Amino acid sequence: MNEWEIAAIVLGFALIPCGAVALLAPSPHALAAVEVAAVLLTTILVLLAEGLHRQPFIDLAVVFAPMSLVGSLLFARLMERDL
Amino acid sequence: MTWRAVVAVALLIAGGLLELIAVLGLCVMRSVYDRLHYVGLAGFGGLLVAVAVLVRESFSLIGDKALLVGVVLVLAGPVLVQTTTRSLLTRELGDWRAKTRDGSKDP
Repeated sequence: MNEWEIAAIVLGFALIPCGAVALLAPSPHALAAVEVAAVLLTTILVLLAEGLHRQPFIDLAVVFAPMSLVGSLLFARLMERDL
Repeated sequence: MTWRAVVAVALLIAGGLLELIAVLGLCVMRSVYDRLHYVGLAGFGGLLVAVAVLVRESFSLIGDKALLVGVVLVLAGPVLVQTTTRSLLTRELGDWRAKTRDGSKDP
């Protein structure tokens, strides 16, 4: 196991508190937790791509980063109208 | 161990620590506006990890894409924070722009 995989595992465990906040806190707090979790997940994909030398994982990260931005913006707009 | 590997590991540790601090701040803070500050911090952690990959792999296909991801994360952070804060304020206070158009001061 190399240092990139170790970092990916550590950040994977850091997703647990984000998930807990997203599940247990009120919806505005959950949105903040989801935004942080999206950044963590993108970084984990980059780390896995480098650690496992698997090119497709970095492509997933390239797609996931803008998609998570769009998703979070959409959630924020829907929350503004209390939908 | 080459100097590239040493710098890459240092950047990796720094980026990982920044992201862990962001998660810690998200859990510790009580106000949603305080919690939103850590979205931007996590993005900078992602950039440091991407630069670590770039240092190790140089400007290869994976290095370029990692740098692209890092830049997107850093640029998305302030946009997300601003938009989310604005939406939450509108949800709490209503549309304040109508009040400012009438000549009254900001809330």
